[in-house]
Amino acid sequence: MPAPDAVFSNAVGTSTAERLSVGGVDLEVIRRGAGRPVLLLHGMQHVSPDARFLDLLGRHAEIIAPSHPGFGNSPRPADFETVYDLVRLYLAVLDSLPYERVTLIGLSFGGWLAAEIAVACRHRLDRLVLVDALGIKVSDRETPDILDVFNTSPAEVRRRAWHDPARWAPDYDALSDEELVLRARNWDALCLYGWHPYMYNPQLKRWLGGIRVPTLVVWGASDGLVTPAYGRAYAQCIPGARFELIARAGHQPEIEQAESFVDTVARFLGR
Amino acid sequence: MDAWWQCEVPYPFIPPDVLTATDSVRASLPNRYCDPKIAADLFEEVIDEFLLCDDLGLHVLAIEHHAGINSLLASNPMLLGILARQTRQVRILTLGTLISLRQDPVRVAEEYATADVISRGRLEIGFVKSGGSEMASANANPINNVERYWEAIDLITKALSHHEGPFSWEGKHYTHRHVNIWPRPWQTPHPRLWSATGDPDTAAEVGRRGMVHVLVLRGPEGTRRAYAAHRRARAEAGLPKVTTDNFAYAAFVYVGDTDEEGLRVGSKLLWFLHTSLKSAPQYSRFLPGSIEPHLAPQVYRSAPRPGATTLSANQNAARLTSISVEQAQAQGILFAGNPDTVYRQIMEFYDQVGGFGHLTLIGRSGYMTHAESEKGIRLFSTEVLPRLRAIKPVTVD
Repeated sequence: MPAPDAVFSNAVGTSTAERLSVGGVDLEVIRRGAGRPVLLLHGMQHVSPDARFLDLLGRHAEIIAPSHPGFGNSPRPADFETVYDLVRLYLAVLDSLPYERVTLIGLSFGGWLAAEIAVACRHRLDRLVLVDALGIKVSDRETPDILDVFNTSPAEVRRRAWHDPARWAPDYDALSDEELVLRARNWDALCLYGWHPYMYNPQLKRWLGGIRVPTLVVWGASDGLVTPAYGRAYAQCIPGARFELIARAGHQPEIEQAESFVDTVARFLGR
Repeated sequence: MDAWWQCEVPYPFIPPDVLTATDSVRASLPNRYCDPKIAADLFEEVIDEFLLCDDLGLHVLAIEHHAGINSLLASNPMLLGILARQTRQVRILTLGTLISLRQDPVRVAEEYATADVISRGRLEIGFVKSGGSEMASANANPINNVERYWEAIDLITKALSHHEGPFSWEGKHYTHRHVNIWPRPWQTPHPRLWSATGDPDTAAEVGRRGMVHVLVLRGPEGTRRAYAAHRRARAEAGLPKVTTDNFAYAAFVYVGDTDEEGLRVGSKLLWFLHTSLKSAPQYSRFLPGSIEPHLAPQVYRSAPRPGATTLSANQNAARLTSISVEQAQAQGILFAGNPDTVYRQIMEFYDQVGGFGHLTLIGRSGYMTHAESEKGIRLFSTEVLPRLRAIKPVTVD
């Protein structure tokens, strides 16, 4: 099915959130910077327009960062229920963008989507970057690879998600009403898509070997949700993938170490 | 009015320091704290209490909860099977297998049909939406829980009432290509259906379906609102009015010889609120899907912003877990005293909420002893129940 062209509702190049409509699905999208096109798929939280890494990465690339249906201010169509609805949506987004090839960056949960998309789509990607990505099963059946964020105490999740939680973890008592409402939307959507099997596709690992684009796997050295060992195993499944650790960062190196994260990604994009 | 007795078979024998240290007495408290020998004694006592109810003509009710000190009844059909065989006259309400946690509703229909046949048609089938820590215990996605609830009810109802050979079900949450249960239920088209809910949307659907609508410990305002949503939905759908027989209320109930005894023993039931509700935040206020996102500011913050008019989730929970005997009585959560007092309290509540045809008694909880429980059952059955039975169903607007 030929996808219709992407329709951005605001002028290209503004830094505020715009809308993107593909195949009847309406998405909130942040656009930032100029250069090679990058489709950025967010993790457990939608990307905040104030995130510093957006401006830093925007010096090297034109970033297109949609909020997945159900996250942020993107509505979820009633029949959007699984990760595969998201994967097919973003395959349609890739086909509809006015670029022959796009670099795909996936963070955490969005890294799972990016890996699925890279397996399914060889012709529209030129580079793949997975950042503390979820999506595969590595260890034995009694060793969970991915911390169960829904069934673990919030204090423990906080401790394991950040290298420096005191500085970076959100304080729900200090967040605005609007931010808390968006967090609740993100939480529900993440649960819908990722509850079972918990944050992975049992079949994905088998197909990662078919990825042909140059791939970088970036990992926060202090990530306690999915450890660097999992990241190394992920990279080993993808032919020729490089693996880079970001020191003093947890599950979100793009937040905790924006400079070294962007330096690492920019070096890879420039190769 | 009918009355139904139940005990959730709680397991209160946890060292106080463990109770204080743990963040949750549900889902995550290690089962090494559950001594199977004590559990066996509890089951024996409680099943004997159910059989005493049968002797006295007081209907019985079997619930289900998972992995917590509040209840050892993790497998509703097990108790149901015992009650179906060992009781001889009373009706048996399952309230019920937590169907949105079970992956195969057809199996649930088989269990219910079997219990209905063994009891020779004494089964009533109640459904409970579940939530909270049950989701973790059952590996069940808390999102779409209510969708699964209704689809499972539809599939179970069809499995119980379809007698013309295999049918196919390819729904959103359940697929089963060859449904043809044996035995079929004793009652036709199927046992009466009940549903427990306080939220107005589900209450409306319960009303449209004509199920018996149970409110649990909701107090007068919440109960009246839910019953009203039930009736309004029927009126809006052009359905006939229902009688009080469509409404049920569950409360802690204890009858003693005197008010002093009734209150002293009955107050032990509040252990359920004071101790067995302790639930970690991931199973309660941060459970996905448990609130509409617009309520997150009240629920996610540890305390409300200055000037806020509503309580935070923390404050609400604290209000329930620290409720006093007097407050519980005033809110229609506890009916306790001598027979006259208990009857009066029930009827005051009846008038406050617009009437109901079924009282479901949470009759034993916490550290209440077997002897105390049996005494309460006897006094309720002989001194209060005949008066309740005299209250006939009436149509309510």
